Amino acid sequence: MPVKTRIRQIAALLLVDRVRQRLGLTSETPTLHMSFTGNPGTGKTTVALRMAQILHKLGYIRRGHLISVTRDDLVGQYIGHTAPKTREVLKKAMGGVLFIDEAYYLYRPENERDYGQEAIEILLSVMENQRDDLVVIFAGYADRMDRFFRSNPGFRSRIAHHIDFPDYTDEELMAIAEKMLAAQSYRFDESGAAAFRDYIAARRKQPHFANARSIRNALDRMRLRQANRHFEQPGLVSLEDLMTISAADVRASRVFEMDQERAKGG
Amino acid sequence: MNVIDKKAQASGEKRSRYSAGVLEYRQMGYWDPDYQPKDTDILAVFRVTPQEGVDPVEAAAAVAGESSTATWTVVWTDRLTACDKYRAKCYRIDPVPNTPGSWFAYIAYDLDLFEPGSIANLAASIIGNVFGFKPLKALRLEDMRLPVGYVKTFQGPATGIVVERERLDKFGRPLLGATVKPKLGLSGRNYGRVVYEALKGGLDSTKDDENINSQPFMHWRDRYLYCMEAVAKAEAATGEVKGTYLNVTAATMEDMYERAEFAKDLGSVIIMIDLVIGYTAIQSMAKWARKNDMILHLHRAGHSTYTRQKSHGVSFRVITKWMRLAGVDHIHAGTVVGKLEGDPNMTRGYYDLCREDFNPMRLEHGLFFDQHWASLNKVMPVASGGIHAGQMHQLLDMLGEDCVLQFGGGTIGHPAGIAAGATANRVALEAMIFARNAGRDIMREGEDILEAAAKKCLPLRQALETWKDVTFDYASTDTPDFLPTATAAE
Amino acid sequence: MRNTQGCFSFLPDLSDDEIRTQVQYCIEKGWAVNIEFTEDAHPRNTFWEMWGLPMFDIKDAAAVMLELDSCRKVHADDYIRVSGFDSTHGWESLRISFIVNRPKKEPRFRLQRTEGAGRTVRYSLETEPAD
Repeated sequence: MPVKTRIRQIAALLLVDRVRQRLGLTSETPTLHMSFTGNPGTGKTTVALRMAQILHKLGYIRRGHLISVTRDDLVGQYIGHTAPKTREVLKKAMGGVLFIDEAYYLYRPENERDYGQEAIEILLSVMENQRDDLVVIFAGYADRMDRFFRSNPGFRSRIAHHIDFPDYTDEELMAIAEKMLAAQSYRFDESGAAAFRDYIAARRKQPHFANARSIRNALDRMRLRQANRHFEQPGLVSLEDLMTISAADVRASRVFEMDQERAKGG
Repeated sequence: MNVIDKKAQASGEKRSRYSAGVLEYRQMGYWDPDYQPKDTDILAVFRVTPQEGVDPVEAAAAVAGESSTATWTVVWTDRLTACDKYRAKCYRIDPVPNTPGSWFAYIAYDLDLFEPGSIANLAASIIGNVFGFKPLKALRLEDMRLPVGYVKTFQGPATGIVVERERLDKFGRPLLGATVKPKLGLSGRNYGRVVYEALKGGLDSTKDDENINSQPFMHWRDRYLYCMEAVAKAEAATGEVKGTYLNVTAATMEDMYERAEFAKDLGSVIIMIDLVIGYTAIQSMAKWARKNDMILHLHRAGHSTYTRQKSHGVSFRVITKWMRLAGVDHIHAGTVVGKLEGDPNMTRGYYDLCREDFNPMRLEHGLFFDQHWASLNKVMPVASGGIHAGQMHQLLDMLGEDCVLQFGGGTIGHPAGIAAGATANRVALEAMIFARNAGRDIMREGEDILEAAAKKCLPLRQALETWKDVTFDYASTDTPDFLPTATAAE
Repeated sequence: MRNTQGCFSFLPDLSDDEIRTQVQYCIEKGWAVNIEFTEDAHPRNTFWEMWGLPMFDIKDAAAVMLELDSCRKVHADDYIRVSGFDSTHGWESLRISFIVNRPKKEPRFRLQRTEGAGRTVRYSLETEPAD
């Protein structure tokens, strides 16, 4: 199911719940904690920010801000360090959304005395007792998250909504690239667009592919190459030139080279 | 020949600046419309009302001259000095809005004209001879701009608002006080009773009135001894720091120091003086207060003789500025709603002068200049005279929380006694602060908030009942000449 | 005896919801919120014990209530106060302070008198033990 549909469903449920609560049909504060699973660059953080706004507008959280953390922000280095760190983060997030990226790193079964367990216990207690004050969103790869919840069933029972973020298709990534460029007053010319389609196909096959994030990084490098191209060419540069990313700016990427090597090697 | 005389001026042919005889002030260099005031100049604005037939520019130049280097005739000894620098320069005159015959004259004084750190010296120049000058029908000092270099030569308030609050351990609300009444006639023992009841009931402090010094019915030592017993007992009964403003005003500095020392020995945190002791005595007491960890309360007794009328005298905002320099911690600055003179806009100006580190020019509040205070301590303004618990929302809205509210009659006149009166005021205040902080609109809901608090507090219910209709709704005499106008910044 | 230090001691003891309104006021003013406790609320006892560091970057009163709850668990029979600290230049001190917890039986203060020459008396307060 597309992410957008899932969010619309959740929002509809929350809105109806709110109305039912006002009419006295229900009195319990629903559990709102969520898990967002998917590969990097599939929009989890962006959607979490939107979700914070939705929850705020519907009156489920009082402030609507989002605090994004990872294991290092919650877990300390020495004994007695973790509880204050976790509480500090929780206090900052109160009234809003706490977004824990790659939450499964909190749990390290291989190390019996890992301080992550302490953070997990504090999180669980606040998630249960202060449902009015805070919504927690766990994010990360689907498979690892699954293992994490299986080892910590306390979380599974306290999480109401799961949203899966699939990888973007090539066409979606192309549309994302064009939007990103337009936001900075750039655009592809015809050859540039064709080259970038090839780029997407090649990049996807390579390691550390991170969906929209990889696209953003690629565009940053292409803008750099475009600037250098104009700088080194003699003669006048037109307004049109300043706005255009061409095939040359795209095809100079090492991704193409590596793709050919792969093809030869394979 | 009149010194300022249009005919003389018309017939006077051009002659050298320093030849003996009489010259117009403006010809002597006291009028200079092209002068650009320096950041280090002391600036003053006067309301000048010349006699019939006297040219306003010449009158304004005369004010500049008579408040600086000039005399009525040319003196050759000017040429032994850097007289161009020492001459005050009137650089601008504006007609007073809606007041034919009066002008605002802006005058710049070089900093070298003044002794550092001396209000007496400043006053001797700026409001010295010049106020009796015959060609003027009336003259009023409206405002002054004191340059940072000059401000820094003064000690400033001995304690300041922040440290006063820290010493008293009282934050987040106005301080509550009461002036002991009747102001004259109580014996020391009876006087101390009033103090004890008021403090135990919930006030933070009580206060001597301006004319309680050392009279046949109560000598000062008696008063101090009984009052400090009352303070100590009230502290024990409440767990709070309490105080009473012991008036040390006396005939001589020696007497005042003796009284202040005695107050300190008895453990008082605060003493009090009257404005009538004079600027030098005030500065001396401010230094004493700084040295002895004492809060210094100033009662502005006497100021209305020269501040109240718009045409002649000195504006209270100038007195406020001088007192902040001189170093008092408290100054009575008006209540707006009480029994004494106080236009809301002008009062706002005085409160801002006491409490801000920078006052931007605001004509509608009577502030003619930007004023930087260079981190000089802040003065706690005191609202006193004819106020009661039923006005709490108005007082808090207009005066803010960094002030002292003195409910004299409004405490001691309570039908159920002094302690009940004090409790009524304290409950009203705390309920109002709580409601404001909780986001309620106290100006709209003030009366409801008081009523709700009164449901749980009989003394407040009685107070509201007793004084509900008391107002002092008279026109102010000292009002702004300028209406608020929208500016780009707003 | 009811100790009347702080901003709201003349009102009935504040409920948690009421405390929240005042804490939120502090947060919206940009003040750091501090929790302190003591068993000796003598008027000259300036430095009560701090329950952790002042809370600087919080957005919602729930954060303070979380700490207040744990402080109350340990110090149910002590005085606890909440204060708001304003670091603006020229103030750099507390802006508000109020009591949120009191001992079941509040200690009294005994007034000690030391008589001196010339009818003078020196006063000091001693906190009486609770029982």
